[in-house]
Amino acid sequence: MIEAALLVLMGVFALLAIHSQLLRRAILYLAMMSLLGAFLYLRYAAPELAIAEAAIGSGLVTLLYLAALKRNRVYTIGVIGKDGGNRLQDSYIRHAERSRALREVRGFFAAREFEVQTVFIPESLETALANDAYDLVLQEDDEGMIAYTDDESYIMLELELMCQMHGASSLRFVRH
Amino acid sequence: MAELHPTEESLVLQLIIGLLYPFMLLYGFHIILNGQFTPGGGFQGGCILATLFVARYVVFPVDDMDSERMHIIERLFLVLILVIPVLLLFTGVVSRYPAYRPLYLMIMDLVIGVEVAFGLGVAVLRFAFFQGVGQTWRL
Repeated sequence: MIEAALLVLMGVFALLAIHSQLLRRAILYLAMMSLLGAFLYLRYAAPELAIAEAAIGSGLVTLLYLAALKRNRVYTIGVIGKDGGNRLQDSYIRHAERSRALREVRGFFAAREFEVQTVFIPESLETALANDAYDLVLQEDDEGMIAYTDDESYIMLELELMCQMHGASSLRFVRH
Repeated sequence: MAELHPTEESLVLQLIIGLLYPFMLLYGFHIILNGQFTPGGGFQGGCILATLFVARYVVFPVDDMDSERMHIIERLFLVLILVIPVLLLFTGVVSRYPAYRPLYLMIMDLVIGVEVAFGLGVAVLRFAFFQGVGQTWRL
């Protein structure tokens, strides 16, 4: 009974790892799957194998994937609220997470298998643009979001092109 | 709070790995040395020790470890794995003194553990710092 439950859970975590949008999350799902596999080996009376699975599968390989992920370029998106981001509350973050523009940008990067981290910044637009840590700064206004970037890379050009192609897109693109 | 260098990992990961580091070392040697009585042994404990190298790279990605020297240590322990059984097991020393059999097993586990740790560590570090052009390593 427990074995069947563990097997089903392993399948669930494997599917989650495949369908996860964020690579970092996928790595953690794989580690969970490996740990469940170790429990399964323990239930099947193979403790030696269980320890090997736990040490390699959820220890060594997880850290190896994390090390490989460091090689991957991570794009940092800074999000500023309507009034310069002075009120940074949970309700605002939930509202921004649901907004169409942010979902579009995330989907754009996810489709190209780039890692994206989103930062909600309680700063004015000028200080955010002066900060090199943000590859893309999104500012919310009445119609959607305005994207500021000085990144000349191919992926940003592609994003700009996408914004121009979709005429009624909620995202407008500004280079500074 | 200290300013983060762009190449460094987040503070959360740094603190957690720094906290776990001694326990990982202790647990690795625990598994190696108790391998003859409890599940585990040289290979499993060696894998946990190899995790230390990867953890160090994740937190502090600087190529200051001499992987060539690590490779030499690894080859030395590989020779020991071959030599110790030949000297002790095949000459009948272990079967003549059965009281010392746990000691022999412990030594073998330890040698295998260090060999696996350094072998996987060298593999991981070369993978991590491999720049691709013009560099080859003797095997």
